[in-house]
Amino acid sequence: MKIEILKEIIKKKLSDEQFAVLTNLSNGSSEIYKIGIPLSNNFINYKNDIENYYNLKKSGVINNTEILIQNYIKPIEVIIIGAVHITQYLIKFLKDLNFDVTVVDPREYFTTKQKFQNIKIINKWPEEFFKNIQTNSNTALITLSHDPKIDEPALKHALKKKFFYIGALGSKKTHKNRCKRLKDEGFNDKEIDSIHGPIGIKLGGKSAPEIALSIVAQLVSETNKYKNL
Amino acid sequence: MTQPFIDTILEEAISWIESNKQVVLATVVQTWGSSPFQIGSKMIIDEKGNFLGSVSGGCVETSVITECVELIKSKNSFKKIDFKVSDENAWNVGLACGGEMTVFIEQIN
Repeated sequence: MKIEILKEIIKKKLSDEQFAVLTNLSNGSSEIYKIGIPLSNNFINYKNDIENYYNLKKSGVINNTEILIQNYIKPIEVIIIGAVHITQYLIKFLKDLNFDVTVVDPREYFTTKQKFQNIKIINKWPEEFFKNIQTNSNTALITLSHDPKIDEPALKHALKKKFFYIGALGSKKTHKNRCKRLKDEGFNDKEIDSIHGPIGIKLGGKSAPEIALSIVAQLVSETNKYKNL
Repeated sequence: MTQPFIDTILEEAISWIESNKQVVLATVVQTWGSSPFQIGSKMIIDEKGNFLGSVSGGCVETSVITECVELIKSKNSFKKIDFKVSDENAWNVGLACGGEMTVFIEQIN
């Protein structure tokens, strides 16, 4: 592979838009592909297959050819509400798992730089935060602030936008009360049941890293189910 | 099965080249059966056999590294390597999982 192509891939990764790298395994040539960009002679004969794999976000060698397509797609975005102690452990796991993480907490004193290096921190109330960003079902929400004033506007937004994963920290009792409030706000049972609450799978741990692990295990499991739909 | 944006192996490849290393990129391009790593998994190897990243759970790394060092010496720019359990070398290579995989190795230049 030419170093220019390698540099181009690295540059394209910063744009957050889907692209693919095509390689002809019989002559070693590579090029970058996006819908709408014309293919070179090395790949033009495989146009339909390439488009098909690209649209399905599928990577691999196209059947009965020597053409490899590797799709680069934007990572799943995880929005965490509440820059609490658990959050610090959670973001470590999430980074290794290639999630794109944003932490939202209006309380600036919770989000000091020492605690959250190299993480997008937004010191806004969730209502305000969600007004300014585009979200869709390809997003996960984890609410950890414990404070309904902060958590619930985010939960409502995630339910409306049908996030593929919504998890809310809190005991069974807290969650029951939360569900009741959401019901009063007009959400139906199916929507409310889509919230994972109390959040996480049962590990039996009580420490912050153990809770973070139980949340991340549930998120990964749900993410794999979602991706394979 | 998609390439993670956050994986930094390609960035590492650039920094190796900038420090005057000869670099081969190895990519898993096909898998069958219970191969542990997914298509697109990558490893970079220099002329001395130093490596970063991974193409399997460790089973075929040694063999891939040897092939990459040979590729640099041979002046060829790429090679496709099949690892199959039915191969005579399977025992040496050690795809104990019973899977099969194809790894594409290419010089970056």
